[in-house]
Amino acid sequence: MTDFSQARSIAASGMAAQAERLRFVSENLSNADTPGYRRKVTSFEEVLEAGMRTGKVQTGPVELDQKALERVYDPSHPMAGADGYYDGSNVNMVVEIADAREAQRSYEANLRVFDQARQMSRNLFELLRR
Amino acid sequence: MFDRLEILQLARGLSAYSGARQSVLAENVANANTPGYRARDLPEFSEAYRTSTGMVDLRQTRAGHVSGEDQLSPLATPVFEDLQADPTGNTVSVEHELTRAADIRSDHNRALAVYSSSLDIIRAAIGRAR
Repeated sequence: MTDFSQARSIAASGMAAQAERLRFVSENLSNADTPGYRRKVTSFEEVLEAGMRTGKVQTGPVELDQKALERVYDPSHPMAGADGYYDGSNVNMVVEIADAREAQRSYEANLRVFDQARQMSRNLFELLRR
Repeated sequence: MFDRLEILQLARGLSAYSGARQSVLAENVANANTPGYRARDLPEFSEAYRTSTGMVDLRQTRAGHVSGEDQLSPLATPVFEDLQADPTGNTVSVEHELTRAADIRSDHNRALAVYSSSLDIIRAAIGRAR
């Protein structure tokens, strides 16, 4: 039984981590047109308890993408410099959408594992019912 | 006395094995996007299980791996799988994990079916067929 509850909590940690990643993706997407915005990126890391691996996963510290900001030409923009350019954001829509897709796919896989662990423990309990 | 019936012992072993394997699989799926994570799996059931001195038990390949209290029976140590790594050094393939999840589920169902039908036979033998 402990295996199943462990499997469930690991899968739940995976879902939480993917959901958090999706949150950053949506922050990036909604700020795609904010001047000077740098996209937020996070990575995943294994959760350690007292130096021992638990198998769970969590998102790592949030970092700002240091890629150069896009230079947008618009002399009428309030933030435009003498040359008519201003710094846009460095969000690339295609990258964000791909990231969101991957997050969704991984989330679903975790959900499947969660569901299967639940069904297996239920089947085990069925033995007692007879 | 029923503990010593090999078929029950075997079915119990397979069910515990699938539970433990499901938990290893949950770790893999949760860490499907963790950089540098290497996928793990338990060795085959036939390797994890052996007959020794007339009694059957599950082999513990390395002392100290199983924490004892939280496991029903000592099981084999998870081993790293030899798979192609993606650019981040992660070797988890979600498709591979999901097909394995199907294997685990059928192993577990089979173990439970064998266990419950053996119990039916015992019940019939003591004159309480259902």
